[in-house]
Amino acid sequence: MEGFPGGATDLSQLQSTMEAVEHACSSIQMHVNPGEAEKIILSLRLSPLPYQSCRFILETSQIPNARFQAAGAIGDAAIREWGILTDENKRSLISFCLCYVMEHSGAADAYVQAKVSAVAALLIKRGWLDFAETEKMAIFSEVKQAILGIHGMNAQYTGINFLESLVSEFSPSTSTAMGLPREFHEQCLLSLELNYLKEFYCWAQASALSVTDKIIGCGATVSEDKVCSAALRLMFQILNWNFRQSTNTLGHSINKISASSYGIRHDAVLLKKYERSLVQPGPIWNDVLLSSGHTVWLLNLYATLRQKYSSDVIWIDSPLAVSARQLIVQLCSLTGTIFPADNGEMQIKHLIQILSAVLQWIEPPNVISVAIQSGRNESEMIDGCHALLSLATLTSTVLFDNLLRSIRPFGTIHLLSTLTCEVVKAHTVIRDEEETWASEALDILLEIWSVILGRTDTDKDSVSTEGISAASNLFNVIVESHLKAAAESAFDDDGDADYFHASISKRDERLGSYALIARVAADVTVPFLIKLFSERFALINQRNNTSDPTQTLEELYWLLLITGHVLTDSGEGETMLVPEALQVGFSDILEEAQHPVVVLSWSIIHFARHSLDPEMRRTYFSPRLMEAIIWFLARWVDTYLMPLDATKGQISTPGHEHGHPHGYKLSKKVLLSFAGEHNQGVLVLDTIVRISMMTLNSYPGENELLAVTCQKLFVALVRRRNICVHLVGLDSWLDLARAFANERTLFAITARLQRSLAQTLVCAASGLKDSEASNQYVRDLMGPMTAYLVNISNRNDLKAVAQQADVIYMVCCLLERLRGAAKATQTRTQKAIFEMGSAVMAPLLTLLEIYKNQSAVVYLILKFMVDFVDGQIIFLNAQETSILVSFCLRLLEIYSSQNIGKISLSLSSSLRSEAQAEKYKDLRALLQLLTNICSKDLVDFSSSSDELDSPDIAEVIYVGLHIVTPLISLDLLKYPKLSRDYFALVSHMLEVYPEKVARLNKEAFAHIIGTLDFGIHHQDTDVVEKCLRAVNALASYHYNERNAGKEGLGAQNTDSHGSNGKLQDSILSHFLKLLLQLLLFEDFRMDLAGSAADALLPLLLCEHDLYQRLVQELLEREANPAMKTRLASAFHSLTSSNQLSSSLDRPNRHRFRKNLHGFLTEVSGFMRIK
Amino acid sequence: MSDEEHHFESKADAGASKTFPQQAGAIRKNGYIVIKGRPCKVVEVSTSKTGKHGHAKCHFVAIDIFTAKKLEDIVPSSHNCDVPHVTRTDYQLIDISEDGFVSLLTESGNTKDDLRLPTDETLLTQIKDGFAEGKDLVVTVMSAMGEEQICTLKDIGPK
Repeated sequence: MEGFPGGATDLSQLQSTMEAVEHACSSIQMHVNPGEAEKIILSLRLSPLPYQSCRFILETSQIPNARFQAAGAIGDAAIREWGILTDENKRSLISFCLCYVMEHSGAADAYVQAKVSAVAALLIKRGWLDFAETEKMAIFSEVKQAILGIHGMNAQYTGINFLESLVSEFSPSTSTAMGLPREFHEQCLLSLELNYLKEFYCWAQASALSVTDKIIGCGATVSEDKVCSAALRLMFQILNWNFRQSTNTLGHSINKISASSYGIRHDAVLLKKYERSLVQPGPIWNDVLLSSGHTVWLLNLYATLRQKYSSDVIWIDSPLAVSARQLIVQLCSLTGTIFPADNGEMQIKHLIQILSAVLQWIEPPNVISVAIQSGRNESEMIDGCHALLSLATLTSTVLFDNLLRSIRPFGTIHLLSTLTCEVVKAHTVIRDEEETWASEALDILLEIWSVILGRTDTDKDSVSTEGISAASNLFNVIVESHLKAAAESAFDDDGDADYFHASISKRDERLGSYALIARVAADVTVPFLIKLFSERFALINQRNNTSDPTQTLEELYWLLLITGHVLTDSGEGETMLVPEALQVGFSDILEEAQHPVVVLSWSIIHFARHSLDPEMRRTYFSPRLMEAIIWFLARWVDTYLMPLDATKGQISTPGHEHGHPHGYKLSKKVLLSFAGEHNQGVLVLDTIVRISMMTLNSYPGENELLAVTCQKLFVALVRRRNICVHLVGLDSWLDLARAFANERTLFAITARLQRSLAQTLVCAASGLKDSEASNQYVRDLMGPMTAYLVNISNRNDLKAVAQQADVIYMVCCLLERLRGAAKATQTRTQKAIFEMGSAVMAPLLTLLEIYKNQSAVVYLILKFMVDFVDGQIIFLNAQETSILVSFCLRLLEIYSSQNIGKISLSLSSSLRSEAQAEKYKDLRALLQLLTNICSKDLVDFSSSSDELDSPDIAEVIYVGLHIVTPLISLDLLKYPKLSRDYFALVSHMLEVYPEKVARLNKEAFAHIIGTLDFGIHHQDTDVVEKCLRAVNALASYHYNERNAGKEGLGAQNTDSHGSNGKLQDSILSHFLKLLLQLLLFEDFRMDLAGSAADALLPLLLCEHDLYQRLVQELLEREANPAMKTRLASAFHSLTSSNQLSSSLDRPNRHRFRKNLHGFLTEVSGFMRIK
Repeated sequence: MSDEEHHFESKADAGASKTFPQQAGAIRKNGYIVIKGRPCKVVEVSTSKTGKHGHAKCHFVAIDIFTAKKLEDIVPSSHNCDVPHVTRTDYQLIDISEDGFVSLLTESGNTKDDLRLPTDETLLTQIKDGFAEGKDLVVTVMSAMGEEQICTLKDIGPK
């Protein structure tokens, strides 16, 4: 072959190379001395100009693996030696690869051909910008010939395969790294999209057309099937391309009209969940995909084949069927400017076309479901669901429903409902297995329901009457199937220890979708739920004590869950509103006593009240049922109990008001007031408090139930102040507070839950009339706790008593309670809580000494201080701050005296790692404590601002850092939480007290710098940002001090770098180099550009000479003159545009941020390499 | 509530029983528990129920604090478990005798000579080496349910 690189080599040498490689390949396969074999193959890949040897191996070797390695070696070597190859060489390499695959297209070991094909694609891309257009044309015309079938079926298949590897080589996510700037890849991609992609598509289409006659007829062989499915796969791959041309120009205008009047939508995010995206190829594709009847052809092809193979059950899963369906589903997501601006007419037609074909895959649902359950492959039905999801995403709810009406007497929602019914039935029958077809299909279908019902602009009017009744039917089926499943599973063992956390979010997601469906037809579904509840309550009331109620209990459990989801939303941390659908769903019901939501709420609360009766409780209220009740009550309280807007009258969504009749307003008012302050509210509140108190006392050891009570229900009760006002006036609440303060019973609850209990009890103080009353309330509540701690720490026999397990337990519980109270600090209770804290300061120091070996207690003391300081510090005046700060200093000193230099050893490794975990937790607590103390200098609400006798917080931090830094190792910094806390502290310290840090002793300072160095390379953006802030603070301090004629970092700066001693740079120049390296060559995230600019500016100013030198070096290193000029001008404008001055004030920093942003955008295209 | 503070006062007396009862549900990971008569540290707690509507049971996996053997137990979570009193006392190391016993200085100035060297290799060599180098060593002795063992070592002397 002319121009083949490498020159003439003698045959015996080629022969021996081949033998060596063959030997290596076979020994790898048989695991004989793999290290040695790998070395031989690697040497082939790395050897200079290995092309002749590789070619020889490819052409003569009998061992496919050796041929595979040879092909790979050609690719590696050519990319590496691209610069020294002549144009002739490059061309001949490419044509050698292409000829090779064409000649061997029918050969066995297809993976070798695929590899050679991929190498050809790789080389073509490498030379894409160098080759003349005619050269490319020449190559592609060969390929085209092959694909169109001129050289026979095998060549056809090979040609398609080659295009597949070419397209994947050009898409960013699958391209091979070749050490070139990003810009190069980007240019290749655009050029391919603009000039070739559509042609490739047409070729694939033509090649599919050329074989379909045979496939549809009778004479088809395996190879025709293969060609056809490969062609369809290529088309699918091309439609998966992330089209730039169309989205770049028109993206913005499209988004604005995302819900246009004719019902076509453009929100692409909804498909992301299933890793699919919208296909937006732009107007030039119209002729290929639409006007030529391509879609119809494809649909007919699939339908015909489906008919032909209807007796063949495995055909549905054959490559041809799968790729055809994939392409159909992909065409379903076609949207954007490819459709003419004809009010969506053409797109709607397109969608209806596809829908009518897809119908066969999913209709009639019951037959399909039965067929799948008796062994038919489900992939077609799942693909049908995906197609429906695309339709739902692209259309408004009304249009979605109407799509089917031109083909069937009912709407799409009706079909969706029957389909979902069948899937739900199948799903609840086979619920034991995790990943079944039914659960996969159910997820997609529920996603469709969420798409069509969950849109913010969907209201009741957008679903037709038929759609509403379809939804209510569906909900009936859902509830009945699940109740049946619940009854059947009632006696299963519940061995899954953490069932409460693992699958719960999945379950809640499904229940949430069910609830959306129910709310569409609320006037039917809510009464239905009422009926189901009352049947079961009646059963329980009639039951004689002999029969087992378990099944009914499990049914009630499920009913409570679904009802909770239907009646309330689950927005963590948001203010709950009564769901809009329920507010507008009952416009004809004006009487409170008849409103279904009211009736349902009262019936459940009435039932829950029975749990107060010990006899009833023992027989019917199992811990699990109680959990559901408490969970329901928590959500109900958040939404319906004394809603804030009830007093104000009207709320939210003013746009919706005018269209509705008078009845709507009245029925809405009923919903907002039936449990309001002037109605049943207080009475219900009292009942709920009694029920929750009963759970605390009557279900000992049922931790999940207790956790729901303390962490959900109580939290909901004290969330809003208008409820707290009534709460603190209730006898039941005061009983609870009294029991908490003075009785032992509540100590049986897990210590951590006692913390939340304390927190809620203290929070309720916000309902008291003034600050004096609130403080007194807290004193009464927490007084006994502090008294106990003071008392025990003063005992003479403390040493002996303290170590007893019950005393330790007691101390732990009390510390947790103090923590809870500290966490609940509010302005009005701050005083009492400070008193509480200062009362236990001395005892805590004693306890810290006594319990130095009880890590749990030590940890709790530290955590209490963290929360206490966090809550208090912003309120304290100078004197109080001084008390607090000197206490923290003592605490740190004692802790360090106990823990530094201690070698902890235990018999078993698991106990030893436990001990390390405890250390780690302590350390985090210490870091948090220091950070919280620091915040005093940033936020200060205290009234007096006399500087006199102001305690030196910096001093504590200074001591604290000396204590903490030696304990932090780079290994520990790999733990994300710890490293975040640590770097938060360090950056904070450097920003607020740079002069203190500069005074740290040498080791501590070097250690901090070492960790910053580590942190800048961290994965976590948060950490990197904090490190950049720290570097900024350090450099700015140095710069400002030096300008003022002081020494700044002085000696610390000039010292050699700590973490690796060989660096003789000053610290700042080290960071300057590091930062430039990061910005220019590494995958730097643009969202950090701001902080990087802030850090870079003072570094530039401090180390100006070094910066100039570095820039010079960089420019000299750049070989390409064009790049060199671009780089030079980028550097120039970085430091001189926008009138950048040499000060560190805000406007100047802002200017530099702008400059750096421009610099990065300019430079990243050619400096970053892939 | 007139006698409020008395409710809180523990009946703690020096030299009370070796264990005390605590509700199984309140025992957490890293707590102590007695399993089959041995004092253990809990390394894993999981809960389960007999039937969905039954009561919770706690399943403990724990490690014997002296022998490092793994032990397991299942207890209804509302029932009480025995929790051992585990104490740790620091003593200064005075001498190591040839027969493997150590001599320790108590706070009151007496000596305690009834304790063997630990069996753990690392700790053993650290103690022996440290002692041979003339360091001031403090050992922590863990005791529970009548057993004692050296578990920690600390160098308090000047460098």
